[in-house]
Amino acid sequence: MSSPKLIYMKSLLLLSVVFFALACTPEYSDDPAGKPFFDKTGYRPIYQSESEINNVLVGLPTALSDPGKIYLREPYLFINEKGRGIHIFDNADPRNPRNISFISIPANFDIAVKDDWLYADNASDLLVYDISDPKQPKLKKRIEDAIPLVNYPPYTNVYFECVDARKGIVMGWEKVDMPTRPGCYR
Amino acid sequence: MKKLIPILFIALIVAGLMILLASCQQSGGDVSPQTGVGGSMARFAITGNTLYIVSKQSLEVYDITNGGDPAKTVKKDLAVGIETIFPYQDHLFIGATSGMYIFDNKTPSNPVQISQYSHVLSCDPVVARGKYAYVTLRSGVACRPNGGQSSLDVVDLSNLQSLKMVDTQRMVSPYGLGVSGNMLFVCEGDNGLKIMDLSNPAKPVFKTQFKDVPAYDVIALDSSVVLTGNHGLFQYRFDNNDNMELLSKIPVQ
Repeated sequence: MSSPKLIYMKSLLLLSVVFFALACTPEYSDDPAGKPFFDKTGYRPIYQSESEINNVLVGLPTALSDPGKIYLREPYLFINEKGRGIHIFDNADPRNPRNISFISIPANFDIAVKDDWLYADNASDLLVYDISDPKQPKLKKRIEDAIPLVNYPPYTNVYFECVDARKGIVMGWEKVDMPTRPGCYR
Repeated sequence: MKKLIPILFIALIVAGLMILLASCQQSGGDVSPQTGVGGSMARFAITGNTLYIVSKQSLEVYDITNGGDPAKTVKKDLAVGIETIFPYQDHLFIGATSGMYIFDNKTPSNPVQISQYSHVLSCDPVVARGKYAYVTLRSGVACRPNGGQSSLDVVDLSNLQSLKMVDTQRMVSPYGLGVSGNMLFVCEGDNGLKIMDLSNPAKPVFKTQFKDVPAYDVIALDSSVVLTGNHGLFQYRFDNNDNMELLSKIPVQ
């Protein structure tokens, strides 16, 4: 029964099966077009539980360690401690700024102040503090999910472990060795 | 009749003084003392009774007439990569990795995008003054992974529908910036603070550099600057003769 036509059709069938198989195989060959170069490193999310992230406190003044953004609402000077909170200084005399208090806010990077109200980010929440007494700021309001966060690290051309919301809230990213490509990239 | 004239004279002076005082109360300008001012790297900004927040891909607007109870008014979705916001007169200048967006916020609760200035992928804050916006573009792994030069660009704002770059010059590792009088302060990260002369606002000219003061962001005031970086917070007084006097330092420990 092996007429040339049948051989031809069988080969065609075999060929199409092979093609389909190839098409369905995930592209794990080295550096396929469009994907970043994989150098066996990638970014992993640092998770914190919602209760840990939302744990904000007011305390005694502390020294600057990793200063970030600044805001001036005279006579007070506000200095962000990256990812940790806000230092409040009395800057009435710029030659002699006085450290008054520290508001501990995990995942905080930004500040704005109007009158006696201080606005700060706490991961994706917006916090409002009453600072009429800057030595004792009082948390007045928390607006949840005010700031949409992204599920990727602040870098491009990188691989990263995809965010799993069940593990908590992402409060940062760390670069780690990865033997195999993680599921996400950008 | 003669007795009335001195009384009239005094009355006129008093009236004049009252008008003068009344108008002085209103001269708050764009930034009232009670609103304060942030650096150019900010994602939060306040003008009048409105709080603007830029997330990585949106502009979130809150009415803070009742300061303790912000009320959301509007959200504008933008392309991914938003970095900073700078309000100036009736506009919001939003810095992004893909360029700069300009919004009209004559209606503060509902800003409207009117323009976009695009450039090669980078990270950049922007400040504006008069007819020009000053933008720093920083190359580097996080911001411009395929190489490219860091720079300071000047964008002509005369026609907001058609923005033009009128000057560009190389920078080493620029971050925040600030303008005061004829000085443009450019933070060069670990490379310190650069001071540029803005006598010709379209063309900043390098004046001097403080290499040993790491600079990430700056708030430029009338005659002083507040500078932040990884050695701490520095405050300098400056005058028209290019003198910079260190007022104080809050060191990192």
